Amino acid sequence: MISESSSPAVIALSGLTLRRGTRTVLADLTLQVAAGEIYALLGGNGAGKSTTLSVLLGFLRPDGGTVTVAGTDPVTAPDAARRQIAFLPESVALYDQLSAYENIAYFMALTGHEPTRGAMDGALDAAGLQAEARTRRVGGYSKGMRQKVAIAMAVLRDVPVLLLDEPTSGLDPRATADFNALLGRLKARGTAILMVTHDLLGAADCADRIGFLAEGRIVDEVRPADGIDVLALHHRYGEAAAA
Amino acid sequence: MKTVRLLAGNDWRLMARSRVAQLALLMLLALSIVAAVTAVAHRDDSNALRARFQQQADRAFDGQPARHPHRMVHYGHFVFRPLPALAGFDPGVDGFTGNTIFLEGHRQNSANFGDVRQSSLLARFGQLTPAFVLQALAPLVLIFVGFGLIANERERGTLRLLRVHGRSAAEVLGGKLLALGGIAAVLLTPALAALIWLVASARAEPLAAGLLALGYIGYLALWVLGIVIVSALVRSARGALIALLGLWTLTTILVPRIGPDIALRLEPQLTRLETDIAIQRDLQRLGDSHNPDDPHFAAFKARILAQYGVSRVEDLPLNYRGLVALEGERLTASLFDRYATAQFAQQRRQGTIATRLGLLSPAVAIRSLSMALAGTDLEGHRRFLQQAEAYRYGIVQRLNRLQAETVTYVDDGNRNRDPEAARRVRIDPRHWQEVPDFTYRPASLAERLAAAAPGAGILLVWLGLAAAAAVAAIRRLEETV
Repeated sequence: MISESSSPAVIALSGLTLRRGTRTVLADLTLQVAAGEIYALLGGNGAGKSTTLSVLLGFLRPDGGTVTVAGTDPVTAPDAARRQIAFLPESVALYDQLSAYENIAYFMALTGHEPTRGAMDGALDAAGLQAEARTRRVGGYSKGMRQKVAIAMAVLRDVPVLLLDEPTSGLDPRATADFNALLGRLKARGTAILMVTHDLLGAADCADRIGFLAEGRIVDEVRPADGIDVLALHHRYGEAAAA
Repeated sequence: MKTVRLLAGNDWRLMARSRVAQLALLMLLALSIVAAVTAVAHRDDSNALRARFQQQADRAFDGQPARHPHRMVHYGHFVFRPLPALAGFDPGVDGFTGNTIFLEGHRQNSANFGDVRQSSLLARFGQLTPAFVLQALAPLVLIFVGFGLIANERERGTLRLLRVHGRSAAEVLGGKLLALGGIAAVLLTPALAALIWLVASARAEPLAAGLLALGYIGYLALWVLGIVIVSALVRSARGALIALLGLWTLTTILVPRIGPDIALRLEPQLTRLETDIAIQRDLQRLGDSHNPDDPHFAAFKARILAQYGVSRVEDLPLNYRGLVALEGERLTASLFDRYATAQFAQQRRQGTIATRLGLLSPAVAIRSLSMALAGTDLEGHRRFLQQAEAYRYGIVQRLNRLQAETVTYVDDGNRNRDPEAARRVRIDPRHWQEVPDFTYRPASLAERLAAAAPGAGILLVWLGLAAAAAVAAIRRLEETV
């Protein structure tokens, strides 16, 4: 199934194939995400979701097909491609001995940015991290708080591509709603957002398109805006997605 | 480079917030400072003491009253080896080999009074010197501070995040190298200050001190490279720590300790007792000057009588006893020299084997380089023994010649029966005062540089290998994040 957006693609995968030993992890995967679009990739364990992200980040070299991120090929120019990407992993890695401000300032400096305290506060406000926590070492943060720091970094980086790996896992409903609202703002800013998730309901809430990944290829794709039967989809793919 | 500095700066910040790193650094810095101060003071004190003892020995020798020259041969003389200026940094074998020799006729004594033999058993565990701190302890602290530099990043997931933020594996590795290199520089500072002090106060050659500093910079750079590479290649921080501690134990403790045993096994040497027995056996074969039937001395006597055209030793213009003493000393000294030369050659072969073991252990290579540049290696001790022996031979033969030339054969024979003869055989004390004092000539800078070259070469080979391994580590980092 060909997956296309009407706008020019910022993320483009075409005929992507990746094998590990005798196992085919990605099989002719084709996918495009346009600027200002949120694409949710659903699938069970081993479906190829995280592998897809690793290819986009330039950490895995595909055996076939092409991939571009904001016009850059992450296979041949991984560092250049990564400069176009903000990535939010499922388990956010930060330096426990540093505060939220220090973590953000450090990672931003690595990308050549020196955000002011005001800019950091703006991003942290948008991410929803309480002001009094920002100067504390992140070693004492909950998973949700760490995620908010990572989201603030993504906001500050202002890059054309945002990759999310199970972004709402571990977040409470209120935090999930805040997060979805934030994604909406990033989308409005023109960011191309690709999220991989198990959470069909969450994806249906915020994604423009939802692709169902099985055995390395997209087997179905829906547009929530067109009106979808979430229950039916859940019955059809939920078992695999929740695996 | 800005990124590398940024990465290193973050590591320094993390270290500054880690109690383990703070404690390790502070302890080693304190040790380094104590080592630098005590080693320099110990060298100054030892040198002053040796100079004072040498003056006392010279005065005692010069102050002897009128005596029979052969009594002076047995009175003997002490000589002391002054410590080179850089012994304040690396005393090398000085504490083990002894620093003074009693010189006397008919015998070649070995050096005595090494610090280790004089001190409590504690000194046998190794003197706390800047060289020891840098060779053994600094790498250990670097391991504890640096084993997790990359492995910890990988374990907590920040390595992937660094890469996601567009930083290449080479930049990450460079940042870690700079971070740990900065720590190594801090650890080096007290030792470098000691070197500068020795150049300024004890007139150590600046070139030797500079090369010594360069050698240790290279040695610690090697450890920094090794630690960061292992941290990059081993999956877990715990695994990296275990691997590095194993490496340290092998290269810093095991190989330097078993190296001499291997050298001794490959180049076996007679023990002191065996050597003494062999020398005694050979001395008996040389001949007995008191035995009229001894073939060597019978031939010697015939040659002397023929040379002077007389038929009795009483008719010689020189004291025959003195001539016999000269010949006897010549024979025994040549025998001692033969044994000493063979022993030195064997020690050199052992030293070569031990230096080649530097291929297995950079600690052996830096130790060899360090002692050679400081002038405190075994070669320096051998120089002292050789010069002391040459001096001993010179004094003894000078006294034997005085016996031959200034004491008559008749008086010499009657000195125990005739008080007047006994008075006449005692010659003027100015003769002892005219004996020049012993002056030790240390190895020249060129000789020390040549002696340091193998160690330096081996270190360079290690650095080359480490650089190649760093390239491999970068590739691995690219692939395994």
